Amino acid sequence: MKGSKNIKIWLPYTVSILCSILFIYAATSKLWDFQQFKVQLGQSPILTAYANWIAWVVPVSEYIIAFLLLLDRYRLIALYVTLGLMTMFTTYIILVLNFSDYIPCSCGGVLENLGWTEHVIFNTLFIIISIMAIVQLESKTMYKPLQS
Amino acid sequence: MMVNNVYIKQLGTISLSIGLVVILFLTSEEQVHRNNAFTRRYPPHPVIKQYELDLGYNSYYIAGLGKDMLYLGNRTSPWHLLQVNLKTKDTSHIELAPRSRKLDYRGIKVEVLPPYFFIMDGTMPFILRGKIGEWLADPWMTEHVYFNKAMPLDSNTIYIRTTHAITHRSALGLIYKKQGPIEVQLDTTLLQMQIDGVFDVDGLLAKDASGAILGYVYYYRNQFFTMDNSLGSLFRQHTIDTVQRAQLTIASKGKSNRTTLAAPPLYINLAAAMSKQFMLVLSHRLGKNESRELLGQASIIDVYDHNKNTYEFSFYLYDIHKHKVREFTVSQNLIIALIDDQLSVYQMSNRYFNTTPSLEMKRQIP
Repeated sequence: MKGSKNIKIWLPYTVSILCSILFIYAATSKLWDFQQFKVQLGQSPILTAYANWIAWVVPVSEYIIAFLLLLDRYRLIALYVTLGLMTMFTTYIILVLNFSDYIPCSCGGVLENLGWTEHVIFNTLFIIISIMAIVQLESKTMYKPLQS
Repeated sequence: MMVNNVYIKQLGTISLSIGLVVILFLTSEEQVHRNNAFTRRYPPHPVIKQYELDLGYNSYYIAGLGKDMLYLGNRTSPWHLLQVNLKTKDTSHIELAPRSRKLDYRGIKVEVLPPYFFIMDGTMPFILRGKIGEWLADPWMTEHVYFNKAMPLDSNTIYIRTTHAITHRSALGLIYKKQGPIEVQLDTTLLQMQIDGVFDVDGLLAKDASGAILGYVYYYRNQFFTMDNSLGSLFRQHTIDTVQRAQLTIASKGKSNRTTLAAPPLYINLAAAMSKQFMLVLSHRLGKNESRELLGQASIIDVYDHNKNTYEFSFYLYDIHKHKVREFTVSQNLIIALIDDQLSVYQMSNRYFNTTPSLEMKRQIP
């Protein structure tokens, strides 16, 4: 019982910190060589028409989410957004893998060295832990009104 | 109850995210491929397929035409030439050779223009010329005239595209030989710059069967032009497509300063061939009321009349082994297309490809 109570506390924290680190890292490496990122994104056969603004939206939103994940007040909503964002990235990868003749990559840093299958697994892992964190956090907030 | 609610919220988030990306993908596709602003005309059977010939390799390119003969060069085996008799379908393999044994080359293109054949390398650069039948090539141009595209017009004239030494932009020109050394004529006004003067003006060289009328077809805009074989009497024409300006994003990639295309370019015209007053242009762009499925099965060729400045009609060349037409040419009343490792030949109907002499005379070169 005590363990299960603990998990409610540490799991969302750990997941938030993990995701936060991932986003800050990913966004920074994108902005580090922004020109390169934009070119790669434009060469992507899927988002060609929107490459210009997506190139800005992605890293900026990654920073914002990373920041919100670290605040207790916004953690739940930030986790939902994380879940959404990771799902979007995964969908994108699956679309690229299945519907294009050539495969560009626009992930930053070490993530660039991941194979596509590993990439999907990596993303799915993050999706799963964020789902778990949301479940824990939601069940915790459920009791909150009773406690206060 | 509450837990269920959480799962519903999560499921909602996930489906929303998937939906968003899919919608972005679909609309991006639509913007790139579809254009509802033009309509094509498809008359019944302007071309009728005659036969297919298995070439064995997909690395052949069209090197030229002789009497009933088609010559194919090979990208991976540059000194090899395939001669195809279009009537009997007989093929014979020809080995080309320079007469002097020592020769460095980088990118060779062979063009056959009876009674000669040319071996051209624009980066070394050199042009060799030899007699058909003998198949031994002698130096024709040894001067340092660089070029990135070349097409022989007659035994002593070659139509080229090159990079201008001062402006670093592409320009069209002629290399010719009267007596003694090579002479070069460049015209920097023909290719009209929209972005950088190199990528945006990229396109295809074309000529009619006699070599008297030259053409240039832009890849990335709805335009081509024709002129006489001294680069005079220029005539610019628009295709039915609506993309007036090349849709290219040119970027210097990363921290290195290499210039590259930042997005897959939007090809308006992919291949072209001239026949009498007709300019035939291969396009993968969909017009009004054309189904996407069709583009999965065929290539579209639009026919223009550059004497009358009109769009005439369009027709399909169907894919072979799910491959599209790579390039094509016209020999008298035959359309010859290279599709995957096949040679595909079509008869042009006189009804649609009839020539109107009076109009043809108007732009005939004296």
